[in-house]
Amino acid sequence: MLLDVKDIHVHYGRLAALRGISISIEEGEIACIVGPNGAGKSTTLLAISAVLKPTEGAISFNGQALAGMSPEQVAEMGISQVPEGRHIFTALSVEENLHVGAAVRKDKDKIRKDFERVLETFPILAERRKQSAGKLSGGEQQMLAIGRSLMTSPRLMTIDEPSLGLAPKIVDRVYEVLVDLQRTRGLTLLIVEQSAERALKAADTIYVLRSGEIQLRGKAAELQDGKAVHQAYFGFSQPGKVEF
Amino acid sequence: MAYAIQVLIDALSLGSFYALAALGIGLLFGVLRLINFAHGDFITIGAYALIIPSAATQATLFIGDFAPIVLIPCIVAIVVIVALISEVTVFRPLRSASPATLMIGSFALGFILQNLIIMIYSGRPKAVGMWSDLSAGVKLMEGVEVPQLQLIIISATLIMLTSLVLFLKRTKYGIHMRAAAEDFRMARMLGVKANRVIMLAVAISGMLAAAVSMLFVVQTGILDFRMGLPLMLFAFIATVIGGMGSLVGAVVGGYTVGAVSILLQTFLPSEFRAFRDVFVFAFVIVILLLRPQGLVMSRSAKERV
Repeated sequence: MLLDVKDIHVHYGRLAALRGISISIEEGEIACIVGPNGAGKSTTLLAISAVLKPTEGAISFNGQALAGMSPEQVAEMGISQVPEGRHIFTALSVEENLHVGAAVRKDKDKIRKDFERVLETFPILAERRKQSAGKLSGGEQQMLAIGRSLMTSPRLMTIDEPSLGLAPKIVDRVYEVLVDLQRTRGLTLLIVEQSAERALKAADTIYVLRSGEIQLRGKAAELQDGKAVHQAYFGFSQPGKVEF
Repeated sequence: MAYAIQVLIDALSLGSFYALAALGIGLLFGVLRLINFAHGDFITIGAYALIIPSAATQATLFIGDFAPIVLIPCIVAIVVIVALISEVTVFRPLRSASPATLMIGSFALGFILQNLIIMIYSGRPKAVGMWSDLSAGVKLMEGVEVPQLQLIIISATLIMLTSLVLFLKRTKYGIHMRAAAEDFRMARMLGVKANRVIMLAVAISGMLAAAVSMLFVVQTGILDFRMGLPLMLFAFIATVIGGMGSLVGAVVGGYTVGAVSILLQTFLPSEFRAFRDVFVFAFVIVILLLRPQGLVMSRSAKERV
């Protein structure tokens, strides 16, 4: 098991955002967390990245406990997050954004290779490498955020709502890239997604999160009819055809 | 013409002080969201470090008597160390506190530093004559003679600004610092070490303060435990009208405030000259009314709105 989240609780002040959730991710799989707004999806990813500290429970990565680590130490261990809203450094050029991704690494030759590879994967970034990242379109910024995360040479990439604010066609392209990363590089992915339909298409494992609790966990292949997911997502079942 | 050049050089050299001090403040604001009101006292410490610590009225040069090649690194090292100690003992424990708390912390630090100086050196102003031959005039052209020191101030500032730009644009740590200034949490999630970036910013801010200390003492020839305060005040105003969070803005603001002060000094009727600062502040208010975001809009500030 690559990532093991065990029964974590996270509070914002007195408000409980996560009430005991557990997630386990195998190396090389794509896991998706789906759920409505305010379910605690982003909170989960921020807790994994050590930006938020769980009040209870434990997270371990590759057998090592993450308790007490700083976000930069977690990044160094190989967990890289592409956060909601992408958080591109708009004052930096495209190229500089990618270089910040290599902050934790010292293997210069490998960094250069990864840099070339990212530019190959995202030709649009190669075209605009000297431009200010703030001038990129939303889709291009999403590509840059993924590229920047790849520059950390992660074993696990967590991505928060990659489809947020993007046209459906571009979302398709983003998912194509993500699935490709898993297939060709064996990268493990944990994707947070609002659309259960997208998640069912891309993921190996699905977690439905609502009100800070995991309502359902299962293999995507076994949940394709969508009924169980719908029930977990909304808290009530719907007869007949299911649409999201 | 000759007169205009003289005024221009006056404006540039005063603006250089403000620009350097404003940059020191702007750098820390960038990475820490801290308005460091103790920055002026860092400048004061750099100045007092030139003399032998004693309460005697007559100042005796100590480090100030060394050759420049030893003197400059010594003063820089002292101010940087004081700045780093401040970071570790005052700012780091307040890291998760609100910006207002941090700012009050920096006020407290400033008072402590001032009172330390009073305890060691006494509160009386002291005269120091360091590098006094620099005040000799240099003839630039027919009818234009300016003190050598002003040219040194202007060129030293240009060299420091250029090196800072090169550091921020060309080096790995410079890029990390710019990334952290825009979005600290994201930079950390990518593995940028928060404390290292902050220590580096504090150290550079200390270097800039040390540069101001030395140039300012040579120009004024006076040590006073409050000497940093007016510099800090004008530099802070410079960062505000330049646009908080923008380093270019800090420099532009510094030179603007310097130029306006000198122009008022030159062209105000003599009975108003004593109240020059009133007019400077009135000018600042006008700028803020016209451009509340500052002269140079910082990209990170834009996003936070």
